Amino acid sequence: MNGRIILGAAALLAACPVAAHHSFAAFFDASKQVTITGTVTEFQFTNPHGLIVLMVKGADGKEQEWRVETNAPVVLRRRGWTLQSVKPGEPVTIAGWPSRDGRPYLRLRAAFHPDGTPIGVPFGTGEL
Amino acid sequence: MVVQAKRVVWVAMALIAFTPVLAAAPRKPKTAAAPAHPDLSGFWGPSLGKPDPALMAKLPPNTVVLDDTGAAEFPKGEYGGLKLKPNALAKAQKWKPEDEMTISRTCSVQSSIYTIQGPFPFEIYQTPQLIVFKYEYYDQVRLVFMDGRGHPADAPRTKGGHSIGHWEGDELVVDTRLFEPSTITNNGLEHSENIHMVERYKLSPDHKTLMASQWFEDPEVLDNNGARYIQWKAKPGYYVYPYDCDPSFALNYRAK
Repeated sequence: MNGRIILGAAALLAACPVAAHHSFAAFFDASKQVTITGTVTEFQFTNPHGLIVLMVKGADGKEQEWRVETNAPVVLRRRGWTLQSVKPGEPVTIAGWPSRDGRPYLRLRAAFHPDGTPIGVPFGTGEL
Repeated sequence: MVVQAKRVVWVAMALIAFTPVLAAAPRKPKTAAAPAHPDLSGFWGPSLGKPDPALMAKLPPNTVVLDDTGAAEFPKGEYGGLKLKPNALAKAQKWKPEDEMTISRTCSVQSSIYTIQGPFPFEIYQTPQLIVFKYEYYDQVRLVFMDGRGHPADAPRTKGGHSIGHWEGDELVVDTRLFEPSTITNNGLEHSENIHMVERYKLSPDHKTLMASQWFEDPEVLDNNGARYIQWKAKPGYYVYPYDCDPSFALNYRAK
């Protein structure tokens, strides 16, 4: 599985993070965005946050485990997400905000299937 | 028998009043028989908008309006113009975000001082004597007593506090005290148990938007007062989902 990691600064636009129990601003750097592609190994869909664990191959060919924190599933359910939205063994691309402490830990902004279609209704679109 | 029958009727009315189906039902058009006060009942989803000038004009002096409503949050060390007492500032500066990611704290909800502005929906159930706010965030419930009572001299301090309300024209005014200490801005700034909050709620002219100002004072912690403008959109047909917080989430952050 070819993975890629793209780091770059980006403005915080319409797709804002949705806060939960812990401070988004204290944990994540909203001035940067990271996009990763890898193979899902685990998906949890419980509040206060869901979690996607995936293996991502870096430029050196080595695989690294990334953990991606999602919005609260109560919010994601109204955006079309279910427990079946992400399955272990499937490839997925995720865009998000990186952890301030440098861990391979992201806050999800959007997730995509291999054909580029978004998983659920992306934030910044739709009613809720 | 008559007394028993009356009790049954009251119980039935109470059950009906608290049935989610009603909250999800489309809002009825106003009629000549509409209640004297606006009907705020229903499901309200988070929304962003410009502050209502009339609500903001009623904020007391020496008040700063925080710009952290909805998804926005202040990073560590920023408090939106609130002036912290030296002890509060020293405590806030020692705060570390990773300390929140523990099994014991992950499912410990913040007080309503912080949570009512969050990007989550809530439902309102309204009767003349009692108004219930049912929040999706952490399954919180607030009771707003509308029967003219005051705050008790002493009572358990809670994250939701003790709320009493009254109508001023078309505005619902909610006064809340008896809070359990918790966060103001979710980044280390904590309020005392004596913080005092006043909220004003009113509907937009088309009744599709619920607008509110939240004001608070806490002289033990702050040299000025804080406020927020919050609004929600009516979402007929929706209802609040159970939150059922899973504390094991804290282990995910600490896994690596």
